[in-house]
This record gives sequence, C-alpha cells and structure tokens, in this order.
Amino acid sequence: MRVARACERLGLDFACVYTASDEQSGHVALGRQLRGDASVVRIQSYHDANEILSVADHCGATAVHPGYGFFAEDFRFARRVTERRRKLIFIGPSWKIIQSLGDKINTKRLARSLGVPTVPGSDRPVYDELEAEEIAATLFAFQSEQGIEKPLVLVKASAGGGGMGIEEVYTIDKFKNVYRRIRNYAKRQFHDEGVLIEQRIHHFNHLEVQILGARGGADIVHFGTRNCSIQSTGRQKRIEVAPGFAPAEVSYNFDAAKVLGDIVDHSLAIAREVGYDNAGTWEWMVTPVGQPFLMEVNTRIQVENGVSAIVSKIKGQGGVDLIAEQIRLGLGDAMGYGQSDVALCGAGIEYRIIAEDPAAKFAPWVGRIDRFAWQGAPWLQMFTHIPLDAPYEIPIEYDPNLALAIIWGKDLAEAKARGLEFLGGVELAGQDPVGSPLRSNLSFLREKTASILEFH
Amino acid sequence: MDIDKNIKELSARLSYIKDVVAGGDSDNLRILGGKFQEFLDREPGLSPPERQRQFTQLEDMFIFLEKKLDAELSPMDKVRIVRHPQRITLKDILENVYDNYTEIGGQDEYSIDPAMLIARAYISRKRGGKVVNQPVMVIGQEKGHGEEFRNGGSVKPWGNAKALQYMKVAETENIPVHTYVFTPGAYPIEDYPGAAQQIARNLYEMSGLRVPVVACFSEGGSGGAEAIGLADTRLMLSHGYYSVISPEGAAAIESGIRQGQRAPAELIEKCAADLKITASDNLRLGFVDRVIQEPPLGARPEHYEFFKTLRAEMIRATDEIVLQVRGVKLLRAMALRGREGQTADVDNMQVFWGLTQTQSDRLIWRRYRKFREMSKNAMIDNSSVAGRLFSQASGLGWSVFSYFRHDFLLPLRKSVWRTVEEAQAELHLLKRKAISEPLRRIREKLGPRSIDPEKQQKLTELSCPEDGVCLTDTGWNYLSPQAREDKAVTCTNAATHGCMDMWAPDLFGDFAGVCGHCGHHFSMEYQWYLYNVFDPDSIMEFNSKIESGDPLAFPGFQEKLELAKKKTGKKSACMTFEARINGLKLVVAMLMAPFRGGTVGAAEGEKFIRAAAWARRRRLPFMAYVHGTAGIRIQEGVNGVIQMPRCTMAVRRYIEAGGLYLVLYDTNSYAGPVASFLGCSPYQFSVRSANIGFAGPGVIKETTGIDIPPFYHRSYYALARGHIQGIWDRREVRKNMYQTLLTMGGGNLYYR
Repeated sequence: MRVARACERLGLDFACVYTASDEQSGHVALGRQLRGDASVVRIQSYHDANEILSVADHCGATAVHPGYGFFAEDFRFARRVTERRRKLIFIGPSWKIIQSLGDKINTKRLARSLGVPTVPGSDRPVYDELEAEEIAATLFAFQSEQGIEKPLVLVKASAGGGGMGIEEVYTIDKFKNVYRRIRNYAKRQFHDEGVLIEQRIHHFNHLEVQILGARGGADIVHFGTRNCSIQSTGRQKRIEVAPGFAPAEVSYNFDAAKVLGDIVDHSLAIAREVGYDNAGTWEWMVTPVGQPFLMEVNTRIQVENGVSAIVSKIKGQGGVDLIAEQIRLGLGDAMGYGQSDVALCGAGIEYRIIAEDPAAKFAPWVGRIDRFAWQGAPWLQMFTHIPLDAPYEIPIEYDPNLALAIIWGKDLAEAKARGLEFLGGVELAGQDPVGSPLRSNLSFLREKTASILEFH
Repeated sequence: MDIDKNIKELSARLSYIKDVVAGGDSDNLRILGGKFQEFLDREPGLSPPERQRQFTQLEDMFIFLEKKLDAELSPMDKVRIVRHPQRITLKDILENVYDNYTEIGGQDEYSIDPAMLIARAYISRKRGGKVVNQPVMVIGQEKGHGEEFRNGGSVKPWGNAKALQYMKVAETENIPVHTYVFTPGAYPIEDYPGAAQQIARNLYEMSGLRVPVVACFSEGGSGGAEAIGLADTRLMLSHGYYSVISPEGAAAIESGIRQGQRAPAELIEKCAADLKITASDNLRLGFVDRVIQEPPLGARPEHYEFFKTLRAEMIRATDEIVLQVRGVKLLRAMALRGREGQTADVDNMQVFWGLTQTQSDRLIWRRYRKFREMSKNAMIDNSSVAGRLFSQASGLGWSVFSYFRHDFLLPLRKSVWRTVEEAQAELHLLKRKAISEPLRRIREKLGPRSIDPEKQQKLTELSCPEDGVCLTDTGWNYLSPQAREDKAVTCTNAATHGCMDMWAPDLFGDFAGVCGHCGHHFSMEYQWYLYNVFDPDSIMEFNSKIESGDPLAFPGFQEKLELAKKKTGKKSACMTFEARINGLKLVVAMLMAPFRGGTVGAAEGEKFIRAAAWARRRRLPFMAYVHGTAGIRIQEGVNGVIQMPRCTMAVRRYIEAGGLYLVLYDTNSYAGPVASFLGCSPYQFSVRSANIGFAGPGVIKETTGIDIPPFYHRSYYALARGHIQGIWDRREVRKNMYQTLLTMGGGNLYYR
C-alpha cells in the first residue's frame, strides 16, 4: 500500500501482486482504485520469483520493488532482476552490496576494518578447539573485568542462521562440551565445522540508523536514529521511536547524545566504504553503559521507516516519504539535497497494532474483525490494509498485523501524551470462529508508552 | 535296432545343420534332406547289409557336406553353433576330459546358481608304470542342453562369488584352476553383491591368484566371460566366439533402435563379422594363445576325439605354465612344444602342478606382463621415438629415485627425528621445572592477573587483516556454460519435494548444479570438477598424445571418432594428470562422458595403466574420477574388453605396492569399467548424481525379462548394497577428497 501510494505520489505507473488469501487486503483495493483492474495480478505464491517476474514482463514493468520481506534482502533475486535478458531495475541496493552486507561475518570484519565497534568475539569461523577455548576464556575474563555480573559466551555455527545451532555458555568449564556439540551439529547440518564465539549481551537497547544513498554510492545521507527496544517476547518490534534517545528529556547513565552521534558516524563510514546506493538500516545494540555494537545491516527499507520520516524535514519541508525517496533514487535520480538540508525535529512514535495476546506470549489471534475505527488527528498517520467498511477475515497464512500508527509530537512528552490519546480512541472488535472476542496488543502498547526511551 | 539309433542320430545331425547354418547353403541342404528322406522311405525294404551300405553312403554325404559348410561358416553361424542346445557343455567336458570329478554344491536347479558349475576333478597320468592323479579345480558356466534353469550360462552375482570362493580354495590347496567360459554374458542384476561389483572382485583376485589358471573359451560374452577368464593361458574352441557384446546388442546400438524392437537380421550378421569375434580373429589379435580345432560345424557331445584333443591341450597348457616358472624343465618343455601340428603325448609324462612361493610370484608377474602386452597396437601413440625412450628412462629414474627416497632415506630420517623430539621433550620439562613454575608462583603472589591486552585486542579488532576483509568466497573457479542462460529450471523432484523453480545462473553457478531445496544434483561438465576440485593451475596432464583408434576398422566408426575428437578437443575419453588438493599431490585418471559416452577402449585402458604406473613410481595417491562411462567401447571389440583385466591388474599392482586408490563416480557409470578396474577399489565414492551398475534398465529388461524397481542404479542403492562407501555432495567434493586423503593415509601409503 505504501509503495503504491509512493508511486502515486511520484506519478509512476505500477502493478501489484496478491495471493488468493490476500484478496481482501487493502493494497488490492487501492491498486484497483488507482490504476484499474489490470494493475492487480493474482499469483500463487509471494516466494516464486518466476511468477513475479513474468507478471513484471506481462505488465511491461521497468522496475521491481520487493517490499519489506522475502526478496528484499535476497541478493539472488536482485541479481536475477538486474541481469536477466529483459533487464529490470531493482528498487534496493545493488546485489553485490546485498550479498556482502547480508553475510554477518563479512559485515563484522568490514566494521572492524573501519574501527567500528562490534560484539567482542571471533570475526571468522573458528575450527581449532584450542583456539576456540582461548577465545572463550578471554571473553569471560573480559566481561568480568567490565563488571558484568553473569558473563555469558555465545557459541554459534558460523554457517547457521535464524537461531539454529546457537548455545549459551555460563562457565568456561562447560565450554568444551558445548563447543563440541555445536561443532558436530554444524558439521551435520551445514557441512561446515566452523563456529563463532561471541560475548552474549543480554541487556541492551536496539537502535537503528536510517541511511539513504543515491545510485553510484557517492551521495549518502542519514535520517537519524530510531529506538526499537520495545519488543514482544519473540524479539519482534512493537513500538519504534525516533530519535533513538532523548537526552534532553530522559536522563541516562552515559552520554546519549554522543552515542547517537557515534553510531550515525559509524554507519555512514560503512555505507561510504561499500558505496551504499539505496535505502538501508544499520542496526545497533547499546549496552547500559552506553557502549554501542553494530549488529547487522538491513539492506532494505523497513516497516518503521515512517517514524523516521515523520520527524524529518528536507530543505525545511515536512511530509517526507522515505519509500518515495527510495524509489526515486532507485530509478537513478540524483539525491538533490545534502545532509545539511535534512533537519530532524520533534519525536515520533510508531505503534504496531496487532491481533495477538501479549499475556499468552504474544500468540497470534485469528478471526474476523467487525469494527476498526480511530479518531483522526493532524499529528497522526495511520496505515492499514484492513477494509473499514466491511468485516475482514484475517488470513491464517500471514502475520495478523492490523495497522501502523505514527504519531508526532514537538517533543517526547507531547508525543507520548498524543500516543496515549490515540490508543484510547481506537475501537477494535471482532470474533474468532468459536465466538471468543478479539485480542489485541493495544493495552500492551499503552502500558509501554510510559517508559519509552528510558534505559537503565 | 542299431540302425534305428543311427538314423535317429543322423536326423538330429540334419536338424542341427539346419539350425546353425541359417539360409547358408540351402540347395545342398535340400538335396541332403531329400536323400535322407529317400533312404528313410526305402529303408524298411532293404536287406541288412544293403541297408548298412546305403547308410554309410548317406553318412559320408553328411560328412562331406558338413566339411563343406564348415569352411563357409560365417561368424554369426558360429554364434548360433555355440548357442545351440546340442553344443557341448561343461558337464560333457567333465565326463570326457577328466578322469574323475565331484561336483561341488548344487544338483541341477538346487544350486545357488545352476549356471555356474564347480567341480573338483583329477587327471590321471602315467610316468613309467606309475599312475598319478593330479587334482584341478574346474570352474565354468554350465549352459545345459536346453534346461531352462541353467539360464543359458548367464551367471548371477552370487554364482561368480562362488567361483571366486573356489578359486581361493584352489589357491589354498595349491592346485591349478581350469575355467571353461560358456556364457553369453553375466546376469545383469544388482542384488547384493551386484553383478558389476562381483566381477570386479573376481578380476582383482584372479590377477593375483597364486596357482596356474587355464581358461578355455567357447562362448565368451564380455563381462560374464571376464569373471572367470583372466588366465595364464587362454585357449579357445575353434567354433567359439569371444566378444565385447552379443551381435544382437551391437546391432541394436548401431541401428539406434528402441527397447523392445529387433535389429534387422542382416545388420546382426554384419556386426558379428565386424566385431571380429571368432577364434581365428582372437588368435590373430593376441587375445587367446591357442585355438583347439573342433569337428566340422562344432563339437557336440558325441565327438569323443575332440574331447581327447581338449584334454591333451588343457594338460599341455597347465604343464607349460608350471614349467615356465620352474627351474628343472628343459626336456619336458621341449617335449611339450612338440613338433608342428602334433600334440605331445601328455599322458605319459609328469609335471607336478604345485608351486612354491617364488614360483607363484613369478607366475603372477608373467600373467601381468602377458596382459600388459595385449591390445598395445590398438591405439595411436603419437609420441615420438625419442619421447618414448625418454619416458621409459624417466620411469626408470623415478623408480630408482623413489626407492632411494622412500625406502632408504625416509626410515633413516624418521629415526633421527624421533631422537631429536625425545631430547626436546626432556629439555622442555627441565626448563619448566627450573624457570617457568617459580616465575608463575611469584606472579600469583603479586596479585590477580589482568587480561593480556593482545588477547583482548583479538576480541574486538579485525583478525588476520592480511587475509582481506571479505572472507566469503562464494564463487567457483569454473562457471558452467549452463549458467549463462536466462531461464528457470524445474527440479526433477519438484512434484514430490515442492522445490521452487531455479534461475539457471543461480543453479548452475552458485549452487553448483544442486537444487537448494531437495539436494537433487543436475549433471555438470567434467571441467567443473577439473577447475573446482583441484588447486588452481595445479593440473599437469601427461600421456596426452595417446589417441583412440579404430583397430578393427569398424564400419563408420572412424568418422564417429573424428567427430568426437573434434567436438571435445580431446584425443580419448581418458585424461590423465597430476594435480594437487590443498597442496597434496595426486594422480588422476578421468573418464569423460562427452567423448563417446566415456567408453573405454585400448587407448583409455593404456592411459589408465600408465597413470597407475606413474602414481606408483612417484608414490602418489591415485584417483579415478569417473565423470561418466557407458562401458567398454564396443567398436573396438575384444581390444576394449581386454582392458578390464589389464587395468585391474595395473590397479592391483599399484595397491599391492602400497598405494591409495580412490574412485569417484559422478554421472552414469555402467558396465565393463565398473565391473573391473573401478569396482575393485576398496574406496569407491559417488557424487549424489551418480547412477552405478552393470547394465542399464533397458538392457536388464531385454536380457532378463524382469522389471526393475525405480531408482535401481541410484547412488543411494549402490551405497545400501555395499558397492560404494559414501555419497558426496558435489559442492563438497574438494573438501571430502582432501579429508579422505588425510584420513586414509597411513604408514604404508605412498604419500606419507
């Protein structure tokens, strides 16, 4: 929907795809409304590149926007789009950048080569048991020296991902055992014995830096920081706030302004090094003592881009649309402004309204939504694919995300107050197949609003 | 009454002639048939003497015609002769050639394999007035006179296993082995141990069998014949055939017909002639040592004179083998040689057939030399005379050098090293006790240690910056041309595993032709392995000047060969080279599928043997990488099939000298090579894409009539039945090869 709107705003023609179970989704209606029936095409699966590309050829498209998920960070898809016989533009960084920043070890080494702080530990797969043990021992000593009460070391399969083949070690005595287990697991599962050994950081704030680069990779600006530390138990973001810290209103144990400045500078350094040429997000963890570590780079536009946009002004103009900027730059336009033209003012809060039960480990709720309404306000942007004039059945195949609400205030206090005001006015009702009422995370969001940006 | 029996025999003779000489001399046959009928009509009214006279007359006519027809027999007629139910069988030979015998294991169909007959027999000979019984182990295929359960002499894997078992028994008992080859080919099923695997084992063991082996060929059908045919002396019956493939099979391949169809009869006749399968052809080409003359139109059970000749020849052959490796032999050897065209009186002389240790060694060496010399002229060697001399000299040089280095210097160096190491260990302990320990204690007293800043640096700063920032190496050195097409490829298993279609550049580039979802391996070119498995620029080809030829002048083959040479830019289907994997040197012989299906002929076999010798002289591990092989090259006839024993013997020689011989199958690997020099390796691995077996599904259906289960030849089945020892992912071939070289190296292996 937001991509469609951005195209509309840029005056570009577009077509969008949907699957059978997404038929009721708002983006289909919006596509029909804006560009007619021919511009919405039904496909079997969002995962099938062949299908998507044949739709692109059929519609005569010249560029592909991969959305937020699936293909956005898949360098193979990006490469295929740009290197097939009928070449298309991939709205995203060039595939080589996706590939090199998509590899965590590679990113870590790149960061270290530029003096950017990364999580202490190995930056290459370790194959030798003696070497592994030495690293682990130093890591334990290192942590106790820093005053960490319960030092933890993480052993993970270097070829793994998505939480597979990761284990924590509490004492060095247990290390050998765990190391061998992970090594054998990695050998069996990934055919590679290499493991990574890192410090496990438990308590941290999740910060992000929004970067935008023009094609060619020389022209790079940032749109400030975001704090995404309010998450579900499964580490899924629920509230995102811009800026990352608010030193003027909240007190911290460290120099928060300097930390924000540092992570922005570090992020820009890496972006310049690789010649970053589209929208991307640098993810950071900041420890309670204000030590930042680079986690990873997301080589795509993220859902929470709106909260950075709402606090931004380009050449004094508000109403920034980062997706539109991404598309514009992706198509090869010049940036047209510099860092000094980007101003950040006020605070933004983004709520993700989701049908789930925070009390039951955020279990998704499935059913029919009968009523969904809220009170509009000039400081509020609302994005939802849910039709407001008819009941809506949540498709079981996808996450039950209902809406994104982005709120702006001239400072954090005002934004928080407005957030509470907004949440109070949301009406949301529905039923699941057995007749139980809808569950949502509205109360969770309300409860968490109070402690936004606080970090101890 | 007697005359009735004779008439019956004559009638059988007539129908036999009609059977074997199909459409040959029909006029003569008709006249003979007419005369026979005339006699039959007249016979009841004749007086006994007159009857006898006329019968003798008729019989003479038979003999005359048989002789006449015999001179005009076509190769295909001979094939019909050996396949005829009236042809002599091994049982007839046991009855008539040996003086007594006991059949071992099996009574008619109650046998592990009725097509394989084994007997412990003896031959009685006289020296002066003394009778000596000399035992032999008789092993051979039994076709039977039309009994169905004999399977026409087509032996199942376990039949060949039994043959091998009793060859080993003969070895233990130190008695010679007489084998009789009466087979159209092996029964091509892969049930344990598998047709190919068993024949390979037989060949491997026979090439080192420590007792004399005499083989007598009547019907020598390719792989099945080789299973018992590797012998010190190979005799052949004059009306027999010895061929790489049945004429029908060759015709089917030549005409390119599909399964279930029949090749035209003329083409079959032509192929039988072109393949040079007769006894005289094989004698001329050097694949058999002597031909035993049969009666006109082939030996049948009533030809007692023939059995006497056969007996004499078998004894003579055994005697010769023994005497060749024995010291005191002069007179007897001369007697055996006899005069031209005369058989020696073998029954009245005495040669003991048992061998001593050294004699056995000599025997095996002679056997190796004998096969090494075969089919030498069946390929084109383009290297110059000087080049050949140089390679011989350098071979010798290497032998001397590696003896000096590995057998003389290495043990010396090892013992010196050990002494030094021991001394160092002592010194270390002394140092620790005297210096390090007290120092440590002092440091501990001073206070808690802080972390070594250098170690801490390692945790937060870039390690090994000299390796470069980017460690990921996703590229392969060689990019398949299949990866340059812009198309989506559907995985073979998409229907069952739900694999997504893949973009060709991804699939054949990054994924190395392996489906990312189900792991299905698509075929890749041999170049992919050449440049992705071995260290870059480490490949050094040798013997590249040896070229495949057309030794039998097989019609139309020269053009096909030229085409293959032009298409692939190679001179044969076998490339031999030295290469390195992570610095470890090894010798590789590679069979390439694009060159005539990777078939093995004289040139390929010769290159393989020379590669094994190259590896042996330089003390390097030897690997056979089978990108694909369809089997023995049929257009080279027995020149091809003889590569089975030849190469197997080379492999055995290499392994026994202490080498490590590895085999890696990639795509389709079938028939002769798998049933010999590949299948005999103790370390056989396969890439997941491989199909391994003796005969393809079509051939199995055609020859046995049974429907085989799906995926019968898949590598996983080969693994399950114990043929191969592991299945490798293509992307990990390099890693696994290296690992194998490291783990299988031992004290007695070359490269350590």
